Amino acid sequence: MKRVLLGLVSLAAIAAVVAWVLSAPQTLSETALANLQPGDAVRGEQVFWAGGCASCHAAPGAKGEDKLRLVGGVKLESPFGDFIAPNISMSAPDGLANWSLEQFANAMLKGTSPDGQNYFPAFPYTSYTRMELQDVADLFAFMKTLPAVDGKAPDHEVGFPFNIRRAVGLWKVLFLKEGPVIAEPLTSETDLAVWQRGRYLVEGAGHCGECHTPRNPVGGLELASWLSAAKAPVGNGTIPDITASEKGIGSWSVEDIAYYLESGFTPDYDSVGGEMVSVQENMAKLPASDREAIAVYLKNIPHK
Amino acid sequence: MRFLKYGIAVAALAAASLSLNAAAASDDPVADRKAVMQSVGAAAGLGGGMLKGQIEYTPAAGKAAISTMNAAAHTFGGLFPDGSDMADNSTAAPAIWDDRAGFDAELAKFAAATGAAAKASGKEGPADLDAFKAVFGPVLGTCKSCHEGFRVK
Ligand code: HEC
Ligand code: HEC
Ligand code: HEC
Repeated sequence: MKRVLLGLVSLAAIAAVVAWVLSAPQTLSETALANLQPGDAVRGEQVFWAGGCASCHAAPGAKGEDKLRLVGGVKLESPFGDFIAPNISMSAPDGLANWSLEQFANAMLKGTSPDGQNYFPAFPYTSYTRMELQDVADLFAFMKTLPAVDGKAPDHEVGFPFNIRRAVGLWKVLFLKEGPVIAEPLTSETDLAVWQRGRYLVEGAGHCGECHTPRNPVGGLELASWLSAAKAPVGNGTIPDITASEKGIGSWSVEDIAYYLESGFTPDYDSVGGEMVSVQENMAKLPASDREAIAVYLKNIPHK
Repeated sequence: MRFLKYGIAVAALAAASLSLNAAAASDDPVADRKAVMQSVGAAAGLGGGMLKGQIEYTPAAGKAAISTMNAAAHTFGGLFPDGSDMADNSTAAPAIWDDRAGFDAELAKFAAATGAAAKASGKEGPADLDAFKAVFGPVLGTCKSCHEGFRVK
């Protein structure tokens, strides 16, 4: 009896150690960082709009030039509590003025903070992890050209146990995946280079899946139902299916999708609404070829 | 739909305006406001099609698109009585009832743009595509900000 008990206790101890080790925040390797070129702010502006940083990190309701003042404060409601996007302007007391590129890249690609903590996935690094390191460097160079705005955003309003950053480490083991979601286009007629660009934008910086894909009870994306509609995080709205099926936007042509991202009008002249408005306004700032690439990628997603 | 030929677009618009009239007579505010917005969508399709050169511009068609918008802007606000917020088939957001002042401000922007367009269009309608664009562009510019805060799918 004693021996069994001892065995159980040591098993529990091992499990605890394993959990502790697994939940340790990850960082980028030295070799990954070694080949990095200094960032290009002009290219970085495109990455900034593709990534939609301003939708969360500008002040709530910001329009026009104010979208470049990344003072934070937007509240992101979720079943786990309310997260508040922080100040990521170049403010010294409250923002990223003293961050190195390496620290910034670890936040974006690994969800790990400069002091080695896990970020909550309300910050969509689960998608950003698929971005190229050089794009992250360009993005950081652009952000350095933006105004420094002082001011601390309020703390998150998240209760126990969801407020434990270490526990997010285990969540990351399950749901932080760098690889692509979709391996190949539906049809071999698809222009592969265009489709790959679309995939990179949708699955990476554009983080379209974070809203359009359903989540499991612990908040992980159900990748098997990629882009097949989701319940809005709060309230009783739904975020539409954007797969190329009857339930989704199968009846839209590539031009229709690209035009929607440019103008906000659907093929039957309904107008974009809700949270998609700020996404659409960001997409309108990208080159037409990028909107077309996104459209080509979406036309190749079956409904599951 | 965006490749509508002029004839089809005008027919759609006429059908939508008919439903606008029928709507005003019924006592189902959800059906009424959806019909009004469908006529707005049809007018946007006609106007947008002309702006993109997919439909040939004529002053009469320009005037039709503008007056449909203007009629809608003046009737739409009355179709949100208390209790009509829970309908399953409605995409009207609870914010309309929680923040009526904010919704009225969006309506006012819409009506200001359609009113200015109606005034500029005169008896014959805007003379050419540039004149039409100058007044119809601002009308199309008001859809998004209302749908952003006051509509949920
Ligand atoms: C969906 C909303 C959302 C979007 C979009 C978003 N973020 Fe964030 N971001 C957050 C939240 C919430 C946090 C706080 C996470 C935490 O506290 O664990 C955060 C944290 C951060 C941090 C860490 C700040 C700190 O003080 O430690 C950085 C850096 C950052 N975001 C950069 C970006 C960049 C760059 C983009 C665009 C490519 C972006 N974010 C897009 C929500 C967002
Ligand atoms: C912050 C959440 C969010 C993100 C991120 C997001 N969307 Fe959306 N999307 C929505 C919502 C909400 C709607 C419904 C809009 C409405 O009410 O008109 C929508 C609608 C759409 C539609 C129109 C569907 C229809 O049937 O009318 C398309 C196409 C679309 N999104 C594509 C994208 C693409 C491409 C991306 C990534 C670049 C993206 N979305 C990112 C929330 C989001
Ligand atoms: C003042 C606010 C407001 C403005 C301005 C506005 N809409 Fe709407 N729209 C709504 C609301 C609210 C609904 C949802 C109605 C419902 O389902 O009860 C809607 C619904 C719609 C629909 C769907 C109708 C249906 O069949 O359910 C279309 C199409 C549409 N709007 C197009 C437009 C276009 C195009 C414009 C600009 C020219 C526009 N709207 C301007 C508030 C507005």
